[in-house]
Amino acid sequence: MRNPVLLHKTASQVQQELEACIGCNECLLACPALDEPLTIDVLNRETFGGPISAPVARFARSCYQCGACVPPCPVGLHRDAMMMWLKIRLYRSGEED
Amino acid sequence: MPVLRSSSPYDYSASQERSGVGGYPLFFVYLKPHNLLRISLGLFIIIAGLAFCIWYSRHGSDPTPDSLVGLSYAVVGTVFLLLAGLLYSLRRRSRKSKKVIGGLRSALGWHMFFGLTGLALIFYHSFGNFNPRSGTYALYGLIALVISGIIGRALDRIMPRLIAKEASKALTVEGEDRIEAISQQLQAIVEHNSQRVRGLTPSPASASSALSSAAERGGPGRGRTLHGPWDLAYLTLEETPQELSRYEPSYRLVPDRKSPLSQPGALLPGAQEQIAALRRIERALQREQFYRYVIRYWRIFHILLALVTAGLVIWHLEYAASLVIPTLFH
Repeated sequence: MRNPVLLHKTASQVQQELEACIGCNECLLACPALDEPLTIDVLNRETFGGPISAPVARFARSCYQCGACVPPCPVGLHRDAMMMWLKIRLYRSGEED
Repeated sequence: MPVLRSSSPYDYSASQERSGVGGYPLFFVYLKPHNLLRISLGLFIIIAGLAFCIWYSRHGSDPTPDSLVGLSYAVVGTVFLLLAGLLYSLRRRSRKSKKVIGGLRSALGWHMFFGLTGLALIFYHSFGNFNPRSGTYALYGLIALVISGIIGRALDRIMPRLIAKEASKALTVEGEDRIEAISQQLQAIVEHNSQRVRGLTPSPASASSALSSAAERGGPGRGRTLHGPWDLAYLTLEETPQELSRYEPSYRLVPDRKSPLSQPGALLPGAQEQIAALRRIERALQREQFYRYVIRYWRIFHILLALVTAGLVIWHLEYAASLVIPTLFH
């Protein structure tokens, strides 16, 4: 059984993972929360910084951290941690408003 | 690559998309056209099944679970529940289905559709007979299973937001670890204050040099004049055997109650706030861990409940077969 309590990662760790992503889309193909077409480069670009588009925001809110995206990754990245960073950004922007 | 735009009715305006979308509400629903179609179909089956069940209960010849109508409800309901249980699990494990983005989400939608409509049809199959037999226990199991699924779906929406809230507390504005930042600040405060304390207290070396210079100058009994204050010749800065050196491990400063030093944080100003912040982050991390456990173990609970319900349904099918098969052969 996969460890369920991998806590969040810091921004620098998320950035390292984003830079290591090879863009194979395997995480998105394995995701049971993604309901609309989205490409990995758009997701990667908007995950770390800059404005978040509506489809990416919807996907980030819908992600329920099940971790189904982690095992298919050929380079062993944690897409769930990247999505958590996106969630934190959305949460903080809501708090600011 | 341009940002993909959705043609769905809940899409944001172009200006919002340029400036970015923010906020993370606790409750939100995204209804896409194919989801609406699935919901409409499910509602139609549930309402039409209920209407026919009520009509047949009043005007039908044999409104019982083992009548032809009752058995029809049972067969369709069981097929729906089988589809609910098998389709999603098989699709998750199948490699072919994962080649379409959104395919698993669609399978999850059908899993919920078949689960809810299947439960409704099995409920109609009972025709209000809730005798303490195998069928009633199977129905209770199905109700518990569907309710656990609905709660799980709600938890899937609420818990990640709570995790984001707690994780946000444990990260700085830049996204770095707040515990590390606070620990560094705390270390700086401790160093700063310990330097201040050392600066105020004469060191043993300076005290002994002061004493030796006083001895060189001579004592008061030799008829010489005093160059320094008279009492320095009689006072020693060495601690007496009854006193403890502040550098001893057992040394503890206990200030007087009225002294400002007895106030919290007086000896290490700023440290209490940092320690309190560390405790808050620690609690936030514990809550984050708890929420993650809730998501994970609720899913395991749902699967275990499904297995128990499957056992109850098989028990009921065996019981029903023992009643129905002889009737069919006669």
